[in-house]
Amino acid sequence: MSNLQSNLIQINAFFFKIWLITKKRVFHLFEILFWPAIGLVSVGLLTRFLHLGSNMVAFILIGVIALSIVQIGQLDISYVILYSIWNKSLKQELAAPVNVFHLIAGSWLMGIIHSLLVLFLLSVFSTYAFGFRFLQQGLLPIAWFFCGLLFTSAAVGIFVCALAFRFGGRAHVGANSIVSVMILLSGIYYPVEVLPAPLRIVSACIPVTYFLEYFRSFYGFPIGTANHSLLIGYALALLYVMAATATLLAAVRNSRKSGILLKMSE
Amino acid sequence: MPQTAIQLQGIHKTYPGKGSSPSVHALRGIDLEVDPGAVFCILGPNGAGKTTLISILAGLLYLDEGSGYVCGLEISGNRRRIRELVNFASGHSNLPDNFTVDETLNYFGMLYGLAKKKRLKKTNYLAEFFELSEYRKIPFNQLSTGLKQRLALAKSLINDPRILFLDEPTIGLDPKVSLLIRERLQKLNQDRQTTIILTTHQMDEAEQMSDRIGFLKDGRFIRIASAADLKRSVQFQERITISGRNMGAALDRLQGIAGVSCTVLNEQQISCRMDSRERRLHLILQALLQAGAMIEDIAIAQATLGDVFVKLAEQSDPD
Repeated sequence: MSNLQSNLIQINAFFFKIWLITKKRVFHLFEILFWPAIGLVSVGLLTRFLHLGSNMVAFILIGVIALSIVQIGQLDISYVILYSIWNKSLKQELAAPVNVFHLIAGSWLMGIIHSLLVLFLLSVFSTYAFGFRFLQQGLLPIAWFFCGLLFTSAAVGIFVCALAFRFGGRAHVGANSIVSVMILLSGIYYPVEVLPAPLRIVSACIPVTYFLEYFRSFYGFPIGTANHSLLIGYALALLYVMAATATLLAAVRNSRKSGILLKMSE
Repeated sequence: MPQTAIQLQGIHKTYPGKGSSPSVHALRGIDLEVDPGAVFCILGPNGAGKTTLISILAGLLYLDEGSGYVCGLEISGNRRRIRELVNFASGHSNLPDNFTVDETLNYFGMLYGLAKKKRLKKTNYLAEFFELSEYRKIPFNQLSTGLKQRLALAKSLINDPRILFLDEPTIGLDPKVSLLIRERLQKLNQDRQTTIILTTHQMDEAEQMSDRIGFLKDGRFIRIASAADLKRSVQFQERITISGRNMGAALDRLQGIAGVSCTVLNEQQISCRMDSRERRLHLILQALLQAGAMIEDIAIAQATLGDVFVKLAEQSDPD
């Protein structure tokens, strides 16, 4: 068997693992479908209560959908390590000849499928419940927007994995914290212009800020940063993916050096 | 390239301290050679460094100093390749909680890069080999301790390892399951010439399974030999257990006899290890009678590996 085939099977191992977790843990299915739906409905109802116009409804629901995609995409990557830590099976799995890239690729693939599912469900739901037609912009803008969010979610998920090697099962708090910072600073529910000046500097470092800016421009909202939103967003997202991967590689290496890997499996 | 399965020279490992806890120098210069197809057992008291050593060899832990070869490959530069060729199972193994037996073996087969056909074949074979066939659809967390351990061992054979590392594989298992596991491992060793490196606290298991035993203490091998040679090397060749009344009274006198080491088990029993029955037995009995003990029963046994363990564990640190 070729080296490539063997690597593909090892990537598939982590895809299979997340598939089994999704299938068997009702809670995980809840996280993927229930919470995004609740988020969309509650915010959608709020826009009705406030009698917002269709453009403002679009502004806010785009934010809700983006947040759900980032949240769901990072979950599967985070769980590939967190689940093993909770089960204390990490040592057994990392005794196999797998590396960080197998782990990220396999789990991210499942994250992409789950995110696509969420995107589709929330789009359909927002159309029928709140009259916001997310899909009307056509395939290409949606694809750019969606892929950008996927890269962002990958960076978050990989970073949470790295945190897991340092803080164990408590690392999922890190995932929630990162997403909370995004809610606050990347313009999910309001434009970043309303933030105080120092926080606007931080928001400029978050890729989601740019992807939201790009997609909202199709609904008449002004695009900042000289029309380069998409480019800056992707550059930042890729930078964070690389930085998170380097952090994870260092964390795995350190766990094998310091014995944390053994401790986490006792 | 060495022809040995394992060759180690001067291996050191220190776990860094954390907060107020100091660093731990777990291995202090390990030298070892194990031939292909051998069964080598590592004995030693808790904290001796057994798990650390096995973890380094299995690629789970990096060494700090020293050099070594596993399957002819230099450890530090070939970690991934070595992990392809070896496998690992420990007592109280934890595997993904709600994966069934089949799913677990399939998942680990994938982690080792096995194609679907081969995974299926291996899963069938291992389920049968470890008598797991009727539990294949049961999740790991619903299996008994013995079945979990059998699954952990089945998992450790998924890649046909050249070297199998077993860290207390029968700990906490009932004698019947322990026996089954030992039989299976011996069969594996005989049929496939798989090298087995084993740690255990069960002396009968060490004696029954291994070609050679290494006694590890404070991070160093202080003796490596066959079980028979180790027993021959013990100064106290026999052990006498005397039951009766007022046994403790004679302890001082007994301690004064050269070649004898006694422990009062309770007021009715005393146990003495002696280097020669011919020269020491009558002295022991004499001392007991003179101290006013009433002897009711005497049992004499040959030195066991357990005696070797106690003796070596009691030896003072060479430093």
